[in-house]
Amino acid sequence: MAATVTACALSIAAYIVYTKASSSPPSGGSVLGLTLGIAGYGLMLFSAMLGLRKKFPVRRFGRASTWMRGHLWLGWLSFPLLVLHSGFAAKGRLTSWLMALLIITVGSGLLGAIVQHYLPKLMARVVPMETIYEEIPRVREQLEREADALMASLPGVGRRDFAWGARPAQSGQIAEAEIDSEVVDHLREVYVDTIRPFLSDPETVKNACSDHDRSASLFSSLRLYAPSTAHKILSGLESICEEERQLKRQRQLYRCLHGWLLVHVPLSLALILLGAIHAVVALGY
Amino acid sequence: MSQSAVATKKIEALESRPEPKELRRAPAKVHVTIDGVELAVAPGTSILNAARQLGIQIPTLCHQPNERPAGVCRMCSVEAGEKTLSASCCKPVEEGMVIKTNTEKVQQSRRVLLELLLSEHASPCVRQQRSGDCELEVLAQQEGVLASRFNAPAIPRGMDLSSAAIAVDHSACILCDRCIRACNEVRHNNVLGRKGKGYLAGIAFDLDDPMGDSSCISCGECMVSCPTGALTNKKVIPTDLPDGQPADVRFLKGLPYFQGISSTFLELNRNAVILRRVRAGDTICREGEYGSTAFLLLEGEAEMFLSSHGRHSNEKPDKKKSESLLNLKKLTSWLNPDRSHLEPAPLRIGQPMAFDIVKLEPGDLFGETSCVNHYPRSQTVRAVSDCVMLEILRNVLDMMLQRNGEVRKVLDLNYRKRALCAQLRNSAVFSRVSDEFLDSLKDTVGLLRTQKGEAVFLQGAASDSFYVIRSGFVKITQQRNDGEMVMAYLGPQQHFGLDGQDSRPVTATALDHADLIRIDNDGFHELIARFQEDREKVDLTPDPWRRPVPARPATKIDVPLQKFVNQGLMQANSVLILNLEKCTRCDACVRACADAHDGVTRLVREGLRFDKYLVATSCRQCRDPLCMVGCPVGSIRRQNSMEIKIEDWCIGCGLCASNCPYGNIHMNPVSVVDDDERIFPLARPTVTQKATACDLCSGLAEPSCVYACPHDAAERVDAVKFFGITPGAFSATAK
Repeated sequence: MAATVTACALSIAAYIVYTKASSSPPSGGSVLGLTLGIAGYGLMLFSAMLGLRKKFPVRRFGRASTWMRGHLWLGWLSFPLLVLHSGFAAKGRLTSWLMALLIITVGSGLLGAIVQHYLPKLMARVVPMETIYEEIPRVREQLEREADALMASLPGVGRRDFAWGARPAQSGQIAEAEIDSEVVDHLREVYVDTIRPFLSDPETVKNACSDHDRSASLFSSLRLYAPSTAHKILSGLESICEEERQLKRQRQLYRCLHGWLLVHVPLSLALILLGAIHAVVALGY
Repeated sequence: MSQSAVATKKIEALESRPEPKELRRAPAKVHVTIDGVELAVAPGTSILNAARQLGIQIPTLCHQPNERPAGVCRMCSVEAGEKTLSASCCKPVEEGMVIKTNTEKVQQSRRVLLELLLSEHASPCVRQQRSGDCELEVLAQQEGVLASRFNAPAIPRGMDLSSAAIAVDHSACILCDRCIRACNEVRHNNVLGRKGKGYLAGIAFDLDDPMGDSSCISCGECMVSCPTGALTNKKVIPTDLPDGQPADVRFLKGLPYFQGISSTFLELNRNAVILRRVRAGDTICREGEYGSTAFLLLEGEAEMFLSSHGRHSNEKPDKKKSESLLNLKKLTSWLNPDRSHLEPAPLRIGQPMAFDIVKLEPGDLFGETSCVNHYPRSQTVRAVSDCVMLEILRNVLDMMLQRNGEVRKVLDLNYRKRALCAQLRNSAVFSRVSDEFLDSLKDTVGLLRTQKGEAVFLQGAASDSFYVIRSGFVKITQQRNDGEMVMAYLGPQQHFGLDGQDSRPVTATALDHADLIRIDNDGFHELIARFQEDREKVDLTPDPWRRPVPARPATKIDVPLQKFVNQGLMQANSVLILNLEKCTRCDACVRACADAHDGVTRLVREGLRFDKYLVATSCRQCRDPLCMVGCPVGSIRRQNSMEIKIEDWCIGCGLCASNCPYGNIHMNPVSVVDDDERIFPLARPTVTQKATACDLCSGLAEPSCVYACPHDAAERVDAVKFFGITPGAFSATAK
């Protein structure tokens, strides 16, 4: 960081000195402008090498964390150097595009750095039941099966409502004498109308189970209605809903964690390509 | 004097020394008379074992010490006062029993049985031809049965050569069931069984499939257990021990240490016992190194000593060599900062305080403790003169311990001679006593090895002894009205059982394979009476956990101790920790691991959480690696460093994967076509699976998962140190 700040300060100082000496801001084609441009482009290239470094994780090119620090600080440094190189003006369409791309790329990178700094902390706190992202669909299927099995433990449900092919849980099967058939019907209705749709499509926001407080109040009311023998089933369903909500939250946070790369990476590549074209055009003509 | 003669003498000397006292409370004895000699033995002892205690050898065929007695062959029949003869391997002794093992009736029965068995046994069988140790044919020769009066079966039972590793000759099978018990009860593979009746009876794989098509994993236990040439090896495990030549099987069979081991096993593992020549002054093994081999000195002299005090090698081979693309030192040091300070410090177990030099002579076994316990070697051994020795891989040493009771005695004697005093002095109880006191004490203590979960003593039992832990961990619990309370977790050098009461107020249970030193109260107090000057020096304060309980020492983060122990993290030398507040879930660690290991990752980014830390599912390089127990080919091992490696000669039996309590060993399908026709003359096998586990990217300066993490979220750490759990925490009250 210190090196980045020093280099940035030195560049600005050189720019000011040059401006004072020549009574006009240096253009991109001046010695200083050209030096700043080459340095800025070089730093951009170095920053882009992080992607290449990640393709060979085992090769001892340097620790990935060192590369990441280099990417962040040197990538950031390239911004003031290139702005100084431009002389605070974008003359022509290509340079305007380049400047816009630079600002968006650096901005998205900055956003990414902030996101990747804070979101993991948030995720660790709010998603204690976190799983591997790619495994989420499988975990959801498993949760659906578990919920079905819990419901099939109710007397009569197994015979009438096996549309989803659930088998009753091995333990916890409730005898018919222990629970009223009306209660069973009501529980089944809530399950089929509210809980099961949420488990099938947890992304929906209208469902009562998609919100922690509404879900808690739903299950509290069900507990008041159902006999104590069914409370274990209700607790199981509630914790399944909670896990589903956490998986949903994990998905959202994961997308935020990595979604910005969809902007940052293609724009970075475009910036490097256009930068190369700009160099050829500027130096050639 | 030849080396075998020297070794025989040592074993004889061992036999003449008094047996150690009973390790457990001795129950009432049963009195029997065997061949006119009276004997008192523990109830439940078989007649065979009781006779062996008197040195009376009763021939057996279907019986093996490591298998459940079956009484199939009746070769061990004896007269036990009943109308018919009794199979001595199955029949337990009874009070007042008079047993005759060698009467005319018994001999006659034995000879007839031998003739019957020989009539169905293609003699000489493959094993008899190869190594001359077919147990049936050798026994028949000893009993003077040279031919059978009975006709051979008209229908030949045939051979099964479908397996790449094992040849099955049904005509040599005597239906002793040793292979079946080995497969089902020793290895729990449940592949072998019986088939047919009468002349058509035989052994069968799965539903009588050819062996090569069955679910057999070729672990070789059946072959090793077979007394005849019915199951023989077709190949040699390509074990690769450096710096030596495979020892000749006939030569090994001539050594007393290898008595009782089937030559088929030695033949199969021919490369696991190598003959090494070492020049005078060369170091044979070094203190602090991990090792999976033991040594048997055949010629020459060596010395065993502590090479340094407090320094242990934790070096990885070829560290940082040829890894950097550029030779610019400064640049590489910037790119590859030295992180050696982050590597887990080596564990020092049983640090001996004495600096004695022990002379080793032909016939001496050394390096065996590290080989068996997986702890670093405690001493350095250097050749004084040019030496010839056998280097023995762990799987062979295990077999020696299993099949040859004398080897266990040698190991215990070595321990008593070389390390016991130092270990006792390291415990708080004996840290200040005189050398003479310890010398006298060491002959009275018992050495005890417990299995995981085994109770050392139960609450309420008579308090007749106390214990010092050599290796492993012990849990102290107390049953209370509100359930079981964990009082303490104790580790090496700590003691327990000093209750000062008549009955045990707690239960002590081994958390893993714990080696204990048991000190008998009576013998101990006799010694105290003899050594008056040491009376004050012995620290007999109650067990640490019985002192007033201090506040639990603070840990860096809130670590539930019970959870920590249940996960076996106190065993972890190098656990992969992911800081979830830094980790962006980019899976760079997983990809790096896969990249480093032929596309197959050895870590799963899931596991137990402690606060913000995730203990990833990846091998932790346990101090006492349960995975290493029982590997039939010794392919999972430590070499000279901490990493547990699964060598290329793994046969994919899956035992290590099922032994690992933490799910850190995975079986992965591999396709290996071996075209070395010298080794596989009959077939070209394809190994369908092999075990894989994290080897800390052995050979690289840093594990790839840690190296490739862009956010410094992954670290390999010693769990106990990392979570700030002090030894005191293990002794503090925890529930």
